[in-house]
Amino acid sequence: MHIDPLAEIRQDPMARMGLFILAAISLMALFAPLLSSYSPNDYTGKIFSPPDMDHPLGTDSVGQDIWVRLLYGARTSLIVAGAVAIISSTLSLLIGATAALIGGFYERFCMRTIDAITSLPSIVVMILVAAYLRPSLMLLILLISALSWPTGARIVRSQVLSLKERAHITAARTFGAGKRHIITTHILPELSPIITSMMMMDARRAVFMEAGLAFLGVSDPLVISWGKMMHQAMAFTYLDVWKWWLVPTGFALSATLIGISFLSFSLEAAMDPRLRKGNVRL
Amino acid sequence: MINPREAECSISIEGRRGNGHSFWRAMALIAKAWSGNAARYIPARLQSYLIALAAIFSLNFILPRLMPGDPLHAIYGDVALVAMTDEMQAHLIRQLSLDKSWWDQMQAYLLGLFHGDLGFSYYYRDQVSQVILAAMPWTVLLAGLALVIATLIGIILGIESGYNRGSPFDRGMVASLMFLSGFPDFFVGVLLLLIFAVSLDVLPLSGATSAYAGYHGLSYVADVLRHLALPLAAMVLVQLGDVFLLTRNTVVTLLGESFILTARAKGCPERLIKYAHAGRNALLPVTTATGMRIPHLITRVLFIEIVFSYPGIGSLLNTAISARDYPLIQGILLVVTLTVLSVNLLVDLLYMRLDPRVRYAH
Repeated sequence: MHIDPLAEIRQDPMARMGLFILAAISLMALFAPLLSSYSPNDYTGKIFSPPDMDHPLGTDSVGQDIWVRLLYGARTSLIVAGAVAIISSTLSLLIGATAALIGGFYERFCMRTIDAITSLPSIVVMILVAAYLRPSLMLLILLISALSWPTGARIVRSQVLSLKERAHITAARTFGAGKRHIITTHILPELSPIITSMMMMDARRAVFMEAGLAFLGVSDPLVISWGKMMHQAMAFTYLDVWKWWLVPTGFALSATLIGISFLSFSLEAAMDPRLRKGNVRL
Repeated sequence: MINPREAECSISIEGRRGNGHSFWRAMALIAKAWSGNAARYIPARLQSYLIALAAIFSLNFILPRLMPGDPLHAIYGDVALVAMTDEMQAHLIRQLSLDKSWWDQMQAYLLGLFHGDLGFSYYYRDQVSQVILAAMPWTVLLAGLALVIATLIGIILGIESGYNRGSPFDRGMVASLMFLSGFPDFFVGVLLLLIFAVSLDVLPLSGATSAYAGYHGLSYVADVLRHLALPLAAMVLVQLGDVFLLTRNTVVTLLGESFILTARAKGCPERLIKYAHAGRNALLPVTTATGMRIPHLITRVLFIEIVFSYPGIGSLLNTAISARDYPLIQGILLVVTLTVLSVNLLVDLLYMRLDPRVRYAH
């Protein structure tokens, strides 16, 4: 029986919820200039003003409109998520698949490197490198990708290893199929659901990492980010501003993360036959 | 400004030269061991630990020296250098052998590390190793307690939930913990802080003890626990989901195995099947996952400490970032990585004890 994960998750309420949340956030990011009459770098002159008709979420400590910064923050999160998902999953695919197909010393070396990178405390590594090289959005994207490909590469390798031994591939080989033909027509298509779920995993990690680093004060000074907004808001918990500054920003970030998680949970359940029998799904 | 006398506490350059011979002998031994097809004798895990250490070494040693401009500038950062006198800079250049070749610099750096010299924190005006040691107990207390509590609660809830798959309890637990695990760790901390410390004002907002309260004995312990409550609750909450879902899914798959059927057939009491048969076997993946969670645990504890200004390594890191105290960040990276690697090694050994199949296979 052939399983089509995409058709399957269309039926799943959890996946629908995830898609709905992500669509809402993407629309916010896309139409940010239309949804607010302010620009994110405008100073309104009023600091800490509570929410009203003009400023749906009030203003922050330097008098910037929080709602418009929230909208533009969504752009940063989504850009980081997309870029890291693409770079990191490409690396995972390349290294994981070549390790499995080439084998020998190269494979051992790749696996040891993967183990080594996964045992590093990635946040601290990124903080140190960003401190030396001055944080910029591009650097953060590259750093997050450099530290998140190993998890995916390990999954790709084990999958390719088991695919390599399947009967239909041996059959293709006996018919004289070349290496390239086997890789493009037999191995890559079988990997596509795994690559999809890997990209979601990477995207989720990237959103969290970017926000987390910015929350710690490591961020591109020119970029508006949810983590940075929370970092700034944490200094004013003794005032009432957290109700419309810290909390909505935190919930926007959480909603993005939950949206990605729900989608990837349901994709995983659709792909793993042991989980498919309703073991995880509600 | 750095007090030159304090900096003198570290090993002088003469001392290093004296050790030069033994250093090169050790290096030659390592090289010999490595060239003799060491890859076959050193287990795979140890090889990856060595690679991880090499990565940290290149971050701490090579990267600042590759930066354009003055290496001292890169190692200590702008802010520290402005605060330094010329003699201080000259002293540091001598101490780090920055005016010599890369080999001499590396020798100076590695020997310093072997003597526990992680550099000088200009912000705290103390040796980095001392600063980190002083913060360590709080982090260990918070992370250790949280790990134990979250793992215990997670395993018990997971077994109960998996055994009664599909019951309202199971559905409720899965839904709520999955939802909770979607939240970023630091926001869970922020929410607890806002609810219990800011709005309700029932628990302290920050710190690990009340300053100048002069508590002794039991009242001191009570004070520490009161300060620990919120960060600990946040740490347990953010970890619970992982342990729970893993235990539950393992138990669910195990229930289909034939040994469970055998246990049922011979009339084993329910509780025994649940904990001694399914639960015991679920411990294996949970132990591996606990080991793999430890790097993550350390990241989490850093964030939670910063949210609650808990005076551990995390708050230290926060201060180091805002003060641009690079040697302190480097020291924290080294200490955290060493901790992660040694805990991973312990977990590997523990895993061999827990699973007889792994032990006999070696």
